[in-house]
Amino acid sequence: MSYLEYRVQTVPTGLSKLLHINWALVLLLTAVACMGFLMLYSVAGGAMEPWARPQMERFGLGLAAMFVVAMVPIWFWRNVAFLAYGFAFALLLVVEVAGMAAGGAQRWIDLGFIRLQPSELMKITLVMLLAAYYDWLDVDKVSRPLWVALPVVMILAPTALVIVQPDLGTAILLVVGGAIVMFAAGVHWAYFAAVVASGVGTVSAVMASRGTDWQLLQDYQFRRIDTFLDPTSDPLGAGYHITQSTIAFGSGGWTGRGFMQGTQTRLNFLPEKHTDFIFTTLAEEFGFLGAASLLLLYGGIILFCLASAMTNSDRFASLLTIGIAGAFFLYFAVNMSMVMGLAPVVGVPLPLVSFGGSAMLVLMVAFGLVQSAHVHRPRGRA
Amino acid sequence: MIRRPLRPLARILAARAQGGDPGAIEAENLRLRNDARRDELRLRAEGRLFVMALCFLGAFTVIGARMGTLAASEPAEPRLAASGEAIRASRADITDRNGRVLATNLATHSLYAQPEQIVDAARAARELAAIFPELDEEALHRRFTDGRKFLWIRKTLSPEEMQKVHDIGEPGLLFGPREMRLYPNGRLAAHILGGASFGREGVHSAEVIGTAGIEKEYDAYLRDPALSGAPLVTSLDLTVQAVTEQVLGGGMRLLNAKGASAILMDVHTGEILAMASLPDFDPNDRPAPLTRGEAADSPIFNRAVQGVYELGSVFKIFPVAQALELGLAGPSTVIDTSGPMRVGGFSINEFRNKNFGKISLAEILIESSNRGTGRLALQIGAERQKEFLGRFGFLEPTDVEMVEAPTGRPLFPERWQELSTVTISYGHGISTSPLHLAAGYASLVNGGTRVRPTLLRQSGPQRGERLVSEETSKAVRTMLRQVVTEGTASFAEVEGYHVGGKTGTADKPRAAGGGYYEDKVIATFASIFPAHDPEYVLVVALDEPMETSGEEPRRTAGWTAVPVAAEIIRRTAPLLGLRPSVDAPPLPALTPASNG
Repeated sequence: MSYLEYRVQTVPTGLSKLLHINWALVLLLTAVACMGFLMLYSVAGGAMEPWARPQMERFGLGLAAMFVVAMVPIWFWRNVAFLAYGFAFALLLVVEVAGMAAGGAQRWIDLGFIRLQPSELMKITLVMLLAAYYDWLDVDKVSRPLWVALPVVMILAPTALVIVQPDLGTAILLVVGGAIVMFAAGVHWAYFAAVVASGVGTVSAVMASRGTDWQLLQDYQFRRIDTFLDPTSDPLGAGYHITQSTIAFGSGGWTGRGFMQGTQTRLNFLPEKHTDFIFTTLAEEFGFLGAASLLLLYGGIILFCLASAMTNSDRFASLLTIGIAGAFFLYFAVNMSMVMGLAPVVGVPLPLVSFGGSAMLVLMVAFGLVQSAHVHRPRGRA
Repeated sequence: MIRRPLRPLARILAARAQGGDPGAIEAENLRLRNDARRDELRLRAEGRLFVMALCFLGAFTVIGARMGTLAASEPAEPRLAASGEAIRASRADITDRNGRVLATNLATHSLYAQPEQIVDAARAARELAAIFPELDEEALHRRFTDGRKFLWIRKTLSPEEMQKVHDIGEPGLLFGPREMRLYPNGRLAAHILGGASFGREGVHSAEVIGTAGIEKEYDAYLRDPALSGAPLVTSLDLTVQAVTEQVLGGGMRLLNAKGASAILMDVHTGEILAMASLPDFDPNDRPAPLTRGEAADSPIFNRAVQGVYELGSVFKIFPVAQALELGLAGPSTVIDTSGPMRVGGFSINEFRNKNFGKISLAEILIESSNRGTGRLALQIGAERQKEFLGRFGFLEPTDVEMVEAPTGRPLFPERWQELSTVTISYGHGISTSPLHLAAGYASLVNGGTRVRPTLLRQSGPQRGERLVSEETSKAVRTMLRQVVTEGTASFAEVEGYHVGGKTGTADKPRAAGGGYYEDKVIATFASIFPAHDPEYVLVVALDEPMETSGEEPRRTAGWTAVPVAAEIIRRTAPLLGLRPSVDAPPLPALTPASNG
C-alpha cells in the first residue's frame, strides 16, 4: 500500500504532530545518551571537558534535528531517498580522492562545527534507498534475480569505497544493514542461504587448506587471521585492548566499583576509553547491572522501532524503520561483542554513548526518520 | 494459482437480469482480491519480522550471557608466556676445582617501553638519551610515537641507571627482572668459559644461553632445573690460571709475540688446571666473530684448542719413544746422524746445517737432531708411526669439553709417504693443537697410559689404554730431563722442581702456500715436572716471538718459550702443592741454546 492509497487528511498536521511522536522512543534515546554523558564525565576524571560537554551539545543538536526531520512528511523522505543516496555516495568519493591526496588518512569532511564522515551518512541513506526501492518495486518481482541484483549493487558500491579507506567495521555494518532491509522486504530465503553457505564454504576451504599442498594463503596470512580471530594469543600486541577490557569487566563484577572508581580506566590501562571502548568503563564502574541496563535500554529502542514498523502499513515507512533499527542493533551488538572479546576488534562505536559527533548526529537524524514514519503512518483507508 | 474471475458470468447475467450494476460486482471482487493479497503480504512481512526479532533476541542473549561470565570472572593479569613452557632464568654457577666462582648470575633489570602509556614522548626520549649515550634521542622519539605497543630499550641496567630512569617518572617506561651472566674475574679463563647471552626474552624473565666454550657445551646441564643450581665444577685452579695468564701475557709482550698459549695439565687425571690463549677478551662483553680475515686473528680464537700448528722438534720425543718401545734402540744406542740425507728428493738438514755425527739416542733428543729422528722414523716405518701417533690422539680433534674442540682438527698428509714419515718425526708435516701436544706428553710420561684432557674436576686418575711400557716412559722422562740439564732447554731449570722437556721451533708456513717464512716461527716448549715422577705437563707456545737482547734477534724456543714456561713453573709449582726437593742438584752452567 502506498501513500497514494490512503487519505492524507487523516495524518496529523501542524503542531499536533508533536502529540503523535513516539515519546517513549525519545525517552529511551535520551536515557542512553545520558549514560554516555556520565561515562564521558567519568573517563575525563570527573570533568565536563574535554568530552562530556561537547557530547551534550551534540546530543541537543541531534535532538533538534530529530524533531525537524520528524515533522517533515515521510513521503518527502521517500521521494528524496535516491538523491540522498547519490549525495552521500558523491561525498564518499570526494573523501576517497581527497584522502588519497592527503596521504590516505582523511575520512571526514570538515563542516566547521562538526566533522562529517560520509560513511556514517551512507549507512542511513542506503537504508532509505533500499526501502524506497522495495516500496516502488512490484511485490511479485522482489525475488527475481535481476531485481535482486540491483539492490546488491546499491549495497556493494559504497561498501567497496569504505573498505579501501580502510574501515572494516563500517563495511560490515553497510552490508549486514542492507541485507536486513532486503530480508524484511521479502527477498527469497534461497538468496540469503546461498550467500551464507558460499561464505562459510569459502572460509572453511581456506582454513582447511592450511598445512596442505594446495594452501590458499601464505603462512603469515594465516597467522594474521589467527591473531585477528584470537587476540589473546598476543596479549601485549593485538590482544592488548581485549585483555585489558576483559580485566575491566572482571574488576567490575556484578555491581561495579562505583562511579569514577574504575581502576582500569582511571589508570590509563585502556586505550580508546572514550570512544570504541567506553563500554568497558561502564562495565567496570557499574558492573553487570549497569552493562545489562544499557543493553535493556538498547533492546527497548529496538522493540519500539519494530512495533512501530509492525503497525505501519506503509511499505516504505515500515522498511525504513526496520532498516534503521537493524543498523542500530548492529552498532551496539558489534561494539559490545568486540569489547567483550566475542568478535574481532573492527572499530565500531557504541551508538549514542561513544564520543563522536558524526555518528551521534546521523543516528539522531535516522531516528527522526523513524519518528516521521511513525507520525505520518496511514490511518484508515481510502 | 487459480484466480477467481473478476466478472463471473453467472453473477453478471443474474445481476443484469435483476437490473443491478455489474460494475459493482467487479469492484467488490477486486476489493476482495486486494484484501486477500494484502493479508498474504502482511503475513509474509510479519513472518520475516518475527525471524529478525528472534535473531535480535538471540544476539541479546549471547551478549548478556557474555556480560555475566565476564562479570563473574576473576580479573587476572595476562602472562606473556601464555604459550609454551615458562622461560627459565636460573642458570647454574661455574666454579674452579676449589669452588671459587668463575661464572655466576646477577639480578638486574631490563628496560622496556609501552609507548601507548608514555605521557610525554619527547621528554622521555630526551632524558633516556641523556642517561644512555648510545641511544639516539630522535630515533627513540620516533619509535615512541609510531604506534607500536612495545619496545625494548635496554637488556640490562645497573642499579644507578635504573634509579635514573625511575626518576624520569614516565609511566610508559617499565622494568623487567633479569638474570644476567656475570664473570666476576673478567678476562680470566675467558676462552674456556666462552660466554652467554639472552635467548628467548619476555617481560618477566629471559633465558640465558651459553654462546661459546664450556657455557655452550654444558648449556643444557647448566639450565637443568633438576640439578637445583648445583654448580658445574671445572678442573681449573683459579690461582694457577691467573698466574699462568699473567706470566704468559708478560712473556708475550716481552718477546713481541703476536699470540701465545699455555696449558697446564695433570698427567694422571688429565685435568686441565690452567689453559690460556692470548690475546684474550672479556666474556662479560664477548666480541663478535670476525666477518673478514683470519678467524685465528680474533681474540675469541682459542689457540690452545682450536689453533693447529706444526709444532716442530717437540715431536721428536715420539719417534724416540717408539724406537725404545719397539726395541729398535736403547738410550745409549749410537745412531749416525751425519749427512747428507736425501728422502724422496728432499735433503734433510740439521738446524743451522750442523753435523752431529754419530751420537746416542739420548743425544739425538738433547741436540735435537732432525736426521737422527728421521733415520729412526725410517726404521719404524710409515704404518707403525701413524698407528702410534693415532693412539696418542694426534690424528683427531681432542674431546675436551668445549664446543670449539672439534674445530681443532689436526692436519696430516693423506698419503703417509716416506718423506712424511721423516718430517713428521721432527714435527713438520703434521699440525696439531698445543692441547694435543700436552695430552701426548702426559700420556707418555705418566707411566705410559693414555690420558684425555678434561675441563671437569676428576675424582681419580684416568686408567686409559697402555701406549708405552713403564720402562719406556721412565727412559723418556730421563731423556727429557737431560734436554734441560744438558741441551736446548737450559733456561727451564727451576731450582727444586726437576723440570724436563723438549723445545720446538717451527718455521711458520707461508699463508699464501708454498714454503716457510724465514723469520716467523712458532716456539714451543713442552715440559714435565718433576721429571723423575711427573705430576704436571706444561706446554707453552708463542706465535712469532723475537728475543732482542742479543746482537741479532733470537727466535728459538730455548730463548723464548722456555724462559716463559720456567717462570710459570717457578710460580705455580708451590701453588700446586709441589715441594721443592731439598737436595737440589747444583745449577748447570748456563749454555746458550743453539737449537730449537
